[in-house]
Amino acid sequence: MAIRRTFLKTSFAALAIAAGLGTLTMPADAATRGGKMVYARYADSLFLDPVLNDANVDIWVLTNLYDTLLQPTNDGVGVQPGLATKWETAADAKSLTLTLRQGVKFADGSAMTADDVKWSLDRARDPKAGAWSSSLASIDSIAVSGETVTLKLKNPDPTLIPALATFNAAILPQKLFEATPGATPEEKAKAFAEKPIGTGPFMLTSWKRNQSMTLKRNPYYWKAGEDGKALPYLDELEFQIIPDDATRLLKLKAGEVDGTEFIPYARVKELQGDPSLRMELWPSTRVRYLTFYCGPTFKDGKANPLSNVKVRQALNYAVNKDAIIAITTLGLGKPMRSYMSSTTPLFSGQDLYKYDVAKAKALLAEAGFANGFETSIYSLSGNGDDSNDLAAVQQMWAQVGVKLRIDQVDNPTRTARYREENFAMRTSAWTNDISDPSQITSYFAYWPNIHSLHSNWQDKRVDELFEKSQQETDAKARAAEYQEIQQRYNEAAPIVYLYETPYPVAFRKNAKGFVQIPLGNNLFEAAYVEK
Amino acid sequence: MSRAGLVLWRLLQIVPTFLLIGVTIFVLARLLPGDPVSAMLGDRASDEAVNRLRQQMGFDRSILTQFVLFIEGIARGDFGSSTAYRIPVTQLIGERLPVTITLTALATVIALVFAVPLAFVAAVKANRWPDFLIRGVFQVGLSSPVFYVGLILLTVFAAWLRWFPVGGYGETLGDKLWHLFLPALTLALSFSAIIMRNLRAAILEVLTAEFVDFARSKGLAQRIILFRHVLRNALVSTVTLVGLHAGSLLGGAVITESVFAVPGVGRLMVDSIFARDYPVIQALTLVLAVVVSLAFLVTDLIQMALDPRVAR
Repeated sequence: MAIRRTFLKTSFAALAIAAGLGTLTMPADAATRGGKMVYARYADSLFLDPVLNDANVDIWVLTNLYDTLLQPTNDGVGVQPGLATKWETAADAKSLTLTLRQGVKFADGSAMTADDVKWSLDRARDPKAGAWSSSLASIDSIAVSGETVTLKLKNPDPTLIPALATFNAAILPQKLFEATPGATPEEKAKAFAEKPIGTGPFMLTSWKRNQSMTLKRNPYYWKAGEDGKALPYLDELEFQIIPDDATRLLKLKAGEVDGTEFIPYARVKELQGDPSLRMELWPSTRVRYLTFYCGPTFKDGKANPLSNVKVRQALNYAVNKDAIIAITTLGLGKPMRSYMSSTTPLFSGQDLYKYDVAKAKALLAEAGFANGFETSIYSLSGNGDDSNDLAAVQQMWAQVGVKLRIDQVDNPTRTARYREENFAMRTSAWTNDISDPSQITSYFAYWPNIHSLHSNWQDKRVDELFEKSQQETDAKARAAEYQEIQQRYNEAAPIVYLYETPYPVAFRKNAKGFVQIPLGNNLFEAAYVEK
Repeated sequence: MSRAGLVLWRLLQIVPTFLLIGVTIFVLARLLPGDPVSAMLGDRASDEAVNRLRQQMGFDRSILTQFVLFIEGIARGDFGSSTAYRIPVTQLIGERLPVTITLTALATVIALVFAVPLAFVAAVKANRWPDFLIRGVFQVGLSSPVFYVGLILLTVFAAWLRWFPVGGYGETLGDKLWHLFLPALTLALSFSAIIMRNLRAAILEVLTAEFVDFARSKGLAQRIILFRHVLRNALVSTVTLVGLHAGSLLGGAVITESVFAVPGVGRLMVDSIFARDYPVIQALTLVLAVVVSLAFLVTDLIQMALDPRVAR
């Protein structure tokens, strides 16, 4: 059987293999070894199990404790070697063979084996496990032999390689997990998540919920730093939980923490001007948009003007994205050009719905709403971005006769109305977790998953294209399928396109080497604090 | 009623209060839109995943069945597990309750230290400039929003002057108190204004009482009249006020704990409501009800000590 190598980014992966390790953004000056970094987070983690939970507050810590066979590249569009050094797809695309890195140890010093890999992936793909099991659903069986792991597939799956670089495919130590007290696998998972042991750069040594989390250096970590010795540079990494934005910044300015996340856009300029700090804006896959309900009638039986594509297009033309970007993000965002961010692989967007009040009015008139109509939107109470965006949108739509009522609710309420498909519009944001367009597309555009963001918008051609693309082995054909999906979706406008934003983080000048990739993963393996 | 009788009677009264609050919060939590499962899984989960977890966690059963299981659990001393954190509720609350109680106790002490002497001065110098000054300053404290006062104190005393840490919580007892001082001061400012105004009015009233005239006519020293007769009598209503405010002080802790990143039950309550974490919301409400009931009991005991007529 002829075997051929397929890489998501062939040249990049080859380069990475040649280097023997992933690309880290290495600072020019020599890194300091040892010491401690304190990083303030806006919220605490909930449950540190890679399979059973998928909140960002968990994922962003998990990727420092656990490794996956492959890892996303720092630009978020490709994959690079992780616990596997090589991967080969069979010619019929029905199996994937991975070669494991030699000599990798878990943080307790025990060796990582192919059996750990099989067990971890079997656990992650169990349909009862969690929402993310579907990312590994194409795997039919897993065979191990020495240092190689072969995944036999039910069908060709172009998303499998990026899926193996996603947090839920983390490799856990089977023996340690099974030796954890607990009558059921769920109880064992709970107990193990209190003291997780992985092959990642750090291990969790203490966790005071809602207060702090201490991670110590994993002495057995396999990645080497620029000095040729093992990473991480830090001996200790402490996360402090400071929910209030203003307090987090005060703590950074006072030097009580070395870095912090989620800097409010309004404060970015001020921090850029502070000589003791360094403001970092990491490219992200985050998009901010408003979701329409597109069904013909609402739950109360009333006719829904938003079911008319011309109305949705008109409302998009009536939104001045540049003005909103200036108001909410103080110029740090950029207009959305497709439903997926421009950092997503196979993105093929272009400028969408250039602000045009006359065109908006004409489209509304064509749709039979020359005098406008009244509609409403659920927004998060206490969320500054929501209030800023909607105050602007409300005024912009008033110019074309559309009256927007803003209903401020808490997040579970907004989610409940969304699930019931009992809403006209809602505020939303999205970040990819995997370096492939399939995740976002399955939620936004593919009706059978969650009715296209519960909008009830459906395009049978898009559904067909998506299903085809999920088994498409020809990269060019897959790109063409995604181009058509994006074009059809963007024309139908089941959302109001707003903007993309970077991840705003800030550090003390002497705290360096942190990386946040577009998928959000916080990488502290090469972080250090200069003395 | 004897003191022991009062204590016993009050402790018995907590039982029906506890039950009534238990039922109310159990129903109220479930009247909010959404449930723990949809809050846990978020916007992305499929209906299938939500239904499966709902079934696993027992939230698909009737509200009556859930309530019976809840009461049975309490009877066994089992308050269940947090749906968001997946650890026992007793552990979660046990770690945080001492923090909030220390914070509110410290705030009360600070409030009294400010309010009592100044109320005295204001009353004795009533309607002269010290009185106006004291009342004016306290009025500002009373009318300033807690989160704003908190941020100002943080900026000035922590970030600029570096006298205190910028929020967070310590390891040792001394370190903890040092971390809690600014949040306690924030809580104490508006509280002390209320105490000061109440005590000042009480002192003014007592000063006109006949027994004070009688004490004066006996030729007692002004100092003895003020401390032994006036203050003791005026404090009775202030003690009531402090006791009644225990609840609202716990309420104020919700905002203060968020601004100062103090890991107490106030923040836990807010987080739990946003996560629709029913077991935590229920247990925490009940625990706080007991704390407030106990605070009322202590208030009554202090009143009995100050004014033996209360005991009769």
